[in-house]
Amino acid sequence: MSVVFLCLKIECMFLGSDIVITVENLKKEYKLVKRDPGLKGAIKSLFNRKYETKHAVKGINFTIEQGETVGYIGANGAGKSTTIKMLTGILTPTSGKVTVNGLVPYENRQKNAVNIGAVFGQRTQLFWDIPVRESYNLLKHIYEIPEQEYQETVEMFTEVLTLEPLLGIPVRQLSLGQKMRCELAAAFLHRPKVVYLDEPTIGLDIAVKVKIRKFIKEMNQRWGTTVLLTTHDMQDIEEICDRIIIIDGGTILYDGGLEQIKKQFGQQRVIHFELADKEKFELPASLIGQAEVLPNEEETKVSLSFDHETVKSSFVISEMMSMYEIGDLNIADPKIETIVEELYNKQEQGGEHEKVLANS
Amino acid sequence: MRKYWQIAKGRMQENTAYSAWYWAGTVSSVMRLLIIYFFWEAVYANQTTIQNINLETMLTYIVIALLLQGFVGGVGNELAENIKEGQVAIELMRPYDMIFKMFAVDIGEKIMYLIQGTLPMVLIAYFFMDLSFPKSPETILLFIVSALVGIWIGTFFDFLVGVLAFWTVNVWGVRVLKESLITFFSGALVPITLFPDWLRTITEFLPFQAMVYLPVSIYSGLISGTEVYMALGVQLFWLISLYLLVRVIWSQAIKQITIFGG
Amino acid sequence: MRRYTRLYWEFAKSHMKVMMEYRIDFLIGVASVMLEQFASIFFVKVVFDHIEQINGWSFYEILFIYGIAATGRSIHQIFFDNLWTLGWQYIRPGKLDRLLIRPVNPLFHVVADRLHQDGFGQLIIGLIILGTAIPQLDLVWGAAEIAMLVIMINSSGLIFVAINLFFATFSFWMIDSLPIVWAVFNLSDFARYPLTIYHKGIRMFLTWIIPYGFTAFYPAAYFIDKSGYKEFALWTPVAAIACCFLAYAFWNRGLKAFASTGS
Repeated sequence: MSVVFLCLKIECMFLGSDIVITVENLKKEYKLVKRDPGLKGAIKSLFNRKYETKHAVKGINFTIEQGETVGYIGANGAGKSTTIKMLTGILTPTSGKVTVNGLVPYENRQKNAVNIGAVFGQRTQLFWDIPVRESYNLLKHIYEIPEQEYQETVEMFTEVLTLEPLLGIPVRQLSLGQKMRCELAAAFLHRPKVVYLDEPTIGLDIAVKVKIRKFIKEMNQRWGTTVLLTTHDMQDIEEICDRIIIIDGGTILYDGGLEQIKKQFGQQRVIHFELADKEKFELPASLIGQAEVLPNEEETKVSLSFDHETVKSSFVISEMMSMYEIGDLNIADPKIETIVEELYNKQEQGGEHEKVLANS
Repeated sequence: MRKYWQIAKGRMQENTAYSAWYWAGTVSSVMRLLIIYFFWEAVYANQTTIQNINLETMLTYIVIALLLQGFVGGVGNELAENIKEGQVAIELMRPYDMIFKMFAVDIGEKIMYLIQGTLPMVLIAYFFMDLSFPKSPETILLFIVSALVGIWIGTFFDFLVGVLAFWTVNVWGVRVLKESLITFFSGALVPITLFPDWLRTITEFLPFQAMVYLPVSIYSGLISGTEVYMALGVQLFWLISLYLLVRVIWSQAIKQITIFGG
Repeated sequence: MRRYTRLYWEFAKSHMKVMMEYRIDFLIGVASVMLEQFASIFFVKVVFDHIEQINGWSFYEILFIYGIAATGRSIHQIFFDNLWTLGWQYIRPGKLDRLLIRPVNPLFHVVADRLHQDGFGQLIIGLIILGTAIPQLDLVWGAAEIAMLVIMINSSGLIFVAINLFFATFSFWMIDSLPIVWAVFNLSDFARYPLTIYHKGIRMFLTWIIPYGFTAFYPAAYFIDKSGYKEFALWTPVAAIACCFLAYAFWNRGLKAFASTGS
């Protein structure tokens, strides 16, 4: 008995920390053809090809351990999908290192594929014309899932996600919510070590969202599945993730625990005011110490950031309106945008980031 | 009228945008011409006439038929798809007569085909093949008239088949079948005079021969004299009948949509 | 290998279930193809009502060529028809990704994703044509001849597949290379008749560059002594395998390029 225990202990030591994903200085550049519009442009481009390099991912670093639930967030075009594609092996990086489960994904695509699952937003992984049950059956053969395990998994999923009435229906006849539940089951069907979820809750009503979040959480707890979730819905993050990585413009702005980021930034609000005369703007005395002026390139706009726990939005607005003529105002969604703006602000002040966030 | 011209132009622009398709179409047309040419040369290798038609006349017939054949189709397929996908309802809300609109679109398509398909074929045929020309300017004129009528007959018929999509199954295989049957019976592959008797009788009751066989026969001299005017008469008959049929069935179809909501 | 056979069978089963469900569509599809091919043959018949031979080839010999092409093509049409859709069904809507994250060869998956019912019509008509033509040929049919015929037909099918795959691969760079694939496929129409009727340039092109010649004429020529191509025809299976290798290598190239530029 003690010998077995000793062996196990040694094994654990060798395994070290259970890192499942490593990303080191990962870069991805695209060469885009630059072309003038119209017929003339098309002919010109035949003779003289001009290229423009787009830097989608500019050297990112992170490691993820087995069992973590990571929210990977950022604006559209920030580099999220590009990263995910490199992690899944669909895209080859321009430079840098990436390993998943000890394998380089794009070099060992099929081998890596056995251990991963994915849901890509609205694009279905299932087979369009056949009943859901048969899609699962095909997947069983594709992933070579042992029969016993397959039956157990399907039974469990059917219960948790209430799939029973859907199993006999072809995918194309399902509603979005129904389809998404089936998709998720499909992604976890072969009990992969890592699952990538790209906007799994988009367009769904709240009841389905709740069910889905619960399912993902349960998979993570029961089987220790590592989950990498990209989403625009902060509620998803709140329910599922322990950790957040924020990417913007191809670089990582923040990588840390959910709790930290909420403490630091979750309470921030930003309001953009459109003023008749920006030149003469000064922060109203009542707001000094409560709100910060953020840099704003636009000639007529002023952005204020504040902690809405300490000062209410309505107060900020009323103070501004009492002193200045406000043409229009816009409260930045107290979700990712706010946090990202705030982060830029901090970075800017720290001198690390040259880019100033324009109006969102 | 202006808006229909714009529509035709729009279709032409769309087609050039898909430049790969443009070239693919040209290449395919030229290939078809070559295949036909070599085939018939080989056919005539051991004889000078087939049913009193010599190689030159036969080639002329076949090539002109090939050139004309590209125009006797229409937007029927597109219409069928519009119907299947429910686009029709949207089209009906627009400020034009849908039938005229489809025909305008069709004209755009045909002009494109003229440039990308017919022109290269004509060039190759003219330079590399020995084709004959009609003897008199009168024949040429009659041919042009006949050809135009034939094209319209083809367009109407195609449209009719498209409209039937309201009531029938639209499987891709059926479309292909329909096209090959029409091609065969229009006399585009072989002059109808070569058909076995029983087949020729059947063919004479169908509108297809009016699309290709009749006009091309006028051009190549297979039909001459008073027969030409008889042929034109037959064409006219089909033209009018089909047009009326189109209108009738179309109004039925519209009733169908407006009552059942497409 | 065994795994893929098993996997293909699973895919095939599910396709056949769908086909049976839409039985009418299935029958219409099969019937249409048969009738369409029949119309083509009928054209040849009408011509032969007036002549004896084309370039030394009699009606039934021409039919034989046609039959080999039809049967060979049916192999492609039944099993590999999905290759046509690579551009507009997979690459353009970004659906290829879904295949790439699975532990199967993506080419296999694209091919297995569809079993085309019309192909069965093609097969049936091809066999009918062969069945009509063969008895009329001046040949002795022993086991060797039959085996050779089977090999030739399969080779023909493989060449159709290889050429289709090669040009479909351009979709990795063009998003949808369908116009090219279609134009090239139209070349196969040349192959329906004895290649000897064509200008030498065309013949060379169809033998060495886009080898549609090996889908019909050369295989048929093996059985028809007077054609003078009997020995050359033995290269058909070799050509078939070579083409497949080439096409597959190109496909892999395309896949690699696709992976570095993304969709």
